[in-house]
Amino acid sequence: MQSEHRHSQLTGILAGLWCILVGVGMMAAWLAEPASLAERYPSFFGMKFNAAFAFLLIGIAFLLALARYHVLPILLMVPVFVYGTLALSQHLFGLDLGVDELFYRPFVDIGTSVPGRIAPNTALCFMLASLAIMLRALRGGPDLLQVACAYLSVIIAATSLVGYIVALEGAHDWIAFTRMSLQSASCFLAVGIGVLYSGSRSAAGKTAIAVSLAITTYLVLLSLAYVKVQSQMLATLPAHPEALATTATTILNLILISGAIYVGLLAYSYWNSKRYRQSTSFLGESQRRLAAIIDHAIAGILTIGEDGTILSANPACQQIFGYQPSELIGRSVKMLLPEGERAAGANVLRTELLAGGEREARRKDGSTVPIDISVARVELSEGTIYTAIIRDISERKHFEQQLLTANAELEEFAYRTSHDLRSPIASSIGLLNISRELLENGEYDALGSTLGRMERNFNRLDGLIQNIIVLTRDRLLDEEDQTILVHDVVQSQADTLANLETENRVRIGNYVDPQLTIRNKPSKFEVIVGNLLSNAIKYHDPQEPEPRVDIYLEERPGSVRLIVEDNGIGVPEEKRQFLFRMFKRLHPSRSFGSGLGLYILKKSAESLGGTATYEPKEKGSRFIVELPNEDGGK
Amino acid sequence: MKLNTILVVDDDENDQFICEYTIRKFDPTIKILKAHDGTEALTLLETVTPDGIILDINMPVMNGFEFLDHYASRFRVHAPVVAMLTSSHLGTDRERAMRYAFVKNYFEKPLTIKHLSQMQELLSG
Repeated sequence: MQSEHRHSQLTGILAGLWCILVGVGMMAAWLAEPASLAERYPSFFGMKFNAAFAFLLIGIAFLLALARYHVLPILLMVPVFVYGTLALSQHLFGLDLGVDELFYRPFVDIGTSVPGRIAPNTALCFMLASLAIMLRALRGGPDLLQVACAYLSVIIAATSLVGYIVALEGAHDWIAFTRMSLQSASCFLAVGIGVLYSGSRSAAGKTAIAVSLAITTYLVLLSLAYVKVQSQMLATLPAHPEALATTATTILNLILISGAIYVGLLAYSYWNSKRYRQSTSFLGESQRRLAAIIDHAIAGILTIGEDGTILSANPACQQIFGYQPSELIGRSVKMLLPEGERAAGANVLRTELLAGGEREARRKDGSTVPIDISVARVELSEGTIYTAIIRDISERKHFEQQLLTANAELEEFAYRTSHDLRSPIASSIGLLNISRELLENGEYDALGSTLGRMERNFNRLDGLIQNIIVLTRDRLLDEEDQTILVHDVVQSQADTLANLETENRVRIGNYVDPQLTIRNKPSKFEVIVGNLLSNAIKYHDPQEPEPRVDIYLEERPGSVRLIVEDNGIGVPEEKRQFLFRMFKRLHPSRSFGSGLGLYILKKSAESLGGTATYEPKEKGSRFIVELPNEDGGK
Repeated sequence: MKLNTILVVDDDENDQFICEYTIRKFDPTIKILKAHDGTEALTLLETVTPDGIILDINMPVMNGFEFLDHYASRFRVHAPVVAMLTSSHLGTDRERAMRYAFVKNYFEKPLTIKHLSQMQELLSG
């Protein structure tokens, strides 16, 4: 748009300069009075001195108007307009108003009826051109009246100019012996075109003006020629040879018809080119719109040729595959397939890709990414292409996997709880039946021990239910991070356990720095510490003279490690894989746990973003819970 | 044929106690063998073949199904009546247990005189 504007501005400047050049040149020629030149080339002096001066003024005024001056061009143009009006009225009313030799008495008379007098068409053009320039200066831009003036003057000038070329006097001589000179015609043409084209912004409008100018000029010339031939024929052929007259008429009509056909074709080609321009602009617009959609799509979009060559790739492909679009285009789509599938032939590949669905793709770094792909076959005139829309589904896959794991865990939980909850109840029913019989038989000693069994059963059931409550609460609890004094938490859990432990043999060593704090969720952290300690106490070695549990806290960058060591019975190697599974009791002789302790520990650690691991010791166990701790410290 | 020896495989002391009491009541002459998990039971079975086995499913170390696998593959002579005794009927446990030819019964805890009569009938019939 900008360059087009500059282009039209340039047209105006050139037109102005041409007028100045011609004006100055002709004035100089008149002043030099080269008599021999006038004799040899009389038509050169067809342009009068006054006209040359007027053109100088027109050129300057037009340039000023283009430079957005308002007053100066009008001051220059008023005399020209007056001169044109006066010159024209002399012709119309047969007067002599003394404007012909106003500045200069010509040394030679060519192409005019009165010395120094300009032709009527030239005078009219002066009026039109000066009017157009005044309007331009006044308005600062183009308007309809300017266009009309310029249009008319261009047609008059063009007609006369072409008239010189085809030797048709009527085109430049409106009345006998008074013609518009070649130079004048060229100047009017230049100024007219300059006015029409400078300042106008619509390209379509310019083309329309050009085409209509051509057509009108042609039609004017055609009619002039027709009239001339007609009148001359009537004059020179005094109707005697009838046949000849008819033939001449036929030829004339033929000229007219061919002219009409030419005009029609010109108009049609213009209309066609306009439509073509419109459709290209629509096409460009829709292409840009489509490109914007493709470029900003979240899904990767590829187009692939029949032979598997990638023809285009949008920016989203870089997110998915790690390749820049430019690295993909021109290469085979096989580069995006996992190693194992690259050997597949083009046909297999096509069928498989067209089926779409979920599959794996290979990234630039060699890793694989799960994708969902849908491929469409597109038949184009240049051949078949395939468009593929690709979505990265690694996140979805990840969630799917999490869901499957959670589901499996829940299923196992339901199975195990139904069994473990019923188990103590079933055995209590059995014990109750036995108790009743013992009571009936008066075996009170045996009754007492059976009731003791029942009591232990119910305690076990209660413990299990407590554990399930902890687990459920742990899962649902949404608590805030708080500053935790680890030493104090360990101490309070140890005290609680010491009260429960009847034997009270196990010595608990709390080696955590009393000042040390971490930021975490307090109740989950308590569950972790409690489980670690109770586990260590439960599985102490009864044979050990000094059973003990030691608790340490190690600080690491960004995390803390809670370490609980014991010299208990440990875990046999083949059983370690079951350690953190739910309802796994690994010590048959001491099966008083619910089988949920370490499972709860692991789940709690994971929900805090940490891990729980086991390390064997030479004697006993070492459990390590590592938790993230961003701003921990003293 | 009369039930002379029964092996009870269960990790739970209370369940062992109930089984022992019930069997005594059913027939005091029956000899009772005890094992607390699958491995103990297999060791015991290498020396004795009882007339019946009462088997729990959920046990630490080696559970009921693991025991059945080993018992089926490693032993050529099996106890005539093997009865599963479990806390719940949930899931596919029953079908899975009945696939073994020597598993004849599937009981829900606690063990009763009625269960033992069924085992006796199977052995006689």
